Amino acid sequence: MLNSLRMSMGWVHTWMGLVLGFVLMICFFFGALSVFDREIDRWAIPDTRFEPQPMPSFDKVLKPVFEQLQPDPVDMAATERRVVGSLPDPETLKLESLFAYNTHRDPVLLIGGEFAIPNEPIDPADDHQHVHGRATVNPATGELLNDDALKIGSDWFYPMHFSLNLNWMMLGYWIVGLAALVMLAGLVSGVIIHRKIFREFFTFRPWKNLFRSSLDLHNMTGVVALPFHFFFAFTALVIFASNIYLPVTHTTLKPLHEHHEMLEAARTGLPHEPSGVAAPLASVDAMVAEAKRRWAERDMAGDVGFLTINHLGDENAYVSIYRAGSDRVALVGEGIHFDASTGEVIREEPPRSVVSSIDEFLTGLHLQHFEHWMLRWLYVFGGLLGAICIATGFVLFVEKRKARHARNGSQGSRIVDALAVTTVTGMVLAAVGMLVANRLLPADLAGKGQWEQTAFWSVWGLAFLHAALRSSPVAKARHNPAWREQSLLVGLMSLSAVGLNWVTTGDHLIKTVFTDTYWAVAGVDLSLIVTALVAFYAAAKLRAPVAAQQKEQAVSRNKQVNAYD
Amino acid sequence: MISQAALQTTNRVIAAILGGYAFTWGFSVLGIATMVALGIDFHEAETAISLVAFLVFLGLFLWTFAANSMIRVWLVLAGGAGVMMSVGLMLQNSLLS
Repeated sequence: MLNSLRMSMGWVHTWMGLVLGFVLMICFFFGALSVFDREIDRWAIPDTRFEPQPMPSFDKVLKPVFEQLQPDPVDMAATERRVVGSLPDPETLKLESLFAYNTHRDPVLLIGGEFAIPNEPIDPADDHQHVHGRATVNPATGELLNDDALKIGSDWFYPMHFSLNLNWMMLGYWIVGLAALVMLAGLVSGVIIHRKIFREFFTFRPWKNLFRSSLDLHNMTGVVALPFHFFFAFTALVIFASNIYLPVTHTTLKPLHEHHEMLEAARTGLPHEPSGVAAPLASVDAMVAEAKRRWAERDMAGDVGFLTINHLGDENAYVSIYRAGSDRVALVGEGIHFDASTGEVIREEPPRSVVSSIDEFLTGLHLQHFEHWMLRWLYVFGGLLGAICIATGFVLFVEKRKARHARNGSQGSRIVDALAVTTVTGMVLAAVGMLVANRLLPADLAGKGQWEQTAFWSVWGLAFLHAALRSSPVAKARHNPAWREQSLLVGLMSLSAVGLNWVTTGDHLIKTVFTDTYWAVAGVDLSLIVTALVAFYAAAKLRAPVAAQQKEQAVSRNKQVNAYD
Repeated sequence: MISQAALQTTNRVIAAILGGYAFTWGFSVLGIATMVALGIDFHEAETAISLVAFLVFLGLFLWTFAANSMIRVWLVLAGGAGVMMSVGLMLQNSLLS
């Protein structure tokens, strides 16, 4: 296409990058926030502002909690549509399997399980149907925490970066997947179209015009973090490969997969199906102690990260205990499986093979459950560099075309500019606006999380309207004042979020940094202040081109006047 | 009236995304089935292919835009997908019988 390799790659870079760039902004920005999702949760749910705790005793704390676990009403409704007849009363459903999961940054514990249902599936291929339930527990007391309190970090910003929180038909996942592929294509095509990549890497001319300095910044942020960007886009696809993006083993190769599962169950001794004979549960604490003893023998840190029980209450039930991933890149591992009724070890997982080591290393490096705070901050900066790379791409697109579009009467660059404002400053406004709403809405408001989500989308929608309404100067080859106005608003809202946190919880920065140190909340507050400073600086800088523009117009008017003399 | 250039571009984009995906799917089916036939553990094969598949997709995606002949592009993408899918399924059947 377009005669030469560089021209065709230029087309891919420009147009695919533009269309999916709006999605990539969301991925990079909310991905960067996800690095500190648990800390944002603490900021948003003041009741949980205490120190991270290890997995509590199963027998004493968790067992009674699991007895209170209820099927999720949303999942009940979704499952009901896929089975014959209506589901029984949720109170009567029996818990079939369960899990408990925590990391070194979690003061609260996430638990969940699957409830068995008697109904036949409508589609026979859709077997193994069950209803899910999940809850958040305070591990110190064993009390269930308010489900209405939305974990803004780990249940909103985090899923935003891989699903756009558009769950209908998994649409968000697919859009993000395509965006990830386009990110990879954008990186490769970007390298091909910039022949002097080494020299451009060291070129930054902020004093030149907007187009030049944006191009330099685009190249610099693209190249300096190229391995980072490539890695994240690539592993994003790998992480969801077998379940979402390329589910060949669940579709085309399902028969082979099931055959393997049966062989595997026979080989490992972990029963694939329940036997139907009821059996009691032995002490899980004793199994945890045994697992820790075995890890210690292998000279490994012994915190439990993930605990599951399958075929609960059945003779074939087994308990799987996995080690937390604080001290290495792979997520959880070194699983040890116990017979649930006797407490005997059925199987200790062998060391990983080369292929799964590579896979676990790559996906683990993306999901970063390890304990390394400096690396965590580097991830944030890498994500923000990606966002800068894409945002400058929008600026380049507009600056390159707006003069021509103004001459032709085209609205193209105006539309792109308005969407760019929406996905750059508008997106930050939505995120900060959600935090402000979180502090303004009363904690006991029914459906508070729903209101916070409404606030998020409303702020974003208003930011789009504002950007679109203010964008008419772009069609005349001038600058959109919305950039500056939204920057100012980002600054003001960020500062008010910090102020509101102080007023509503009493946790001001002197307390959270010095007198009663709590870095999760202090970190969010400090980041909001830095955001405000950057936003105010940007707003001040953005005054210059508008002023220059006015001066230029005045000069050209004078010239015209002089010409008539 | 849609211009000739717009139609050609649409053809490229569809080939790159859907054609590339179909080829990658066939590649994964054949790849996993072949590795299992060679005695490699099923999940090992699945993981190994997932690490390679998206690089294949990326290569095809870029090639579709760079290639001169769209007929050749479609022949490789759709033809390759069909052939690999059929051979993969035949392999699966023979492994299970």
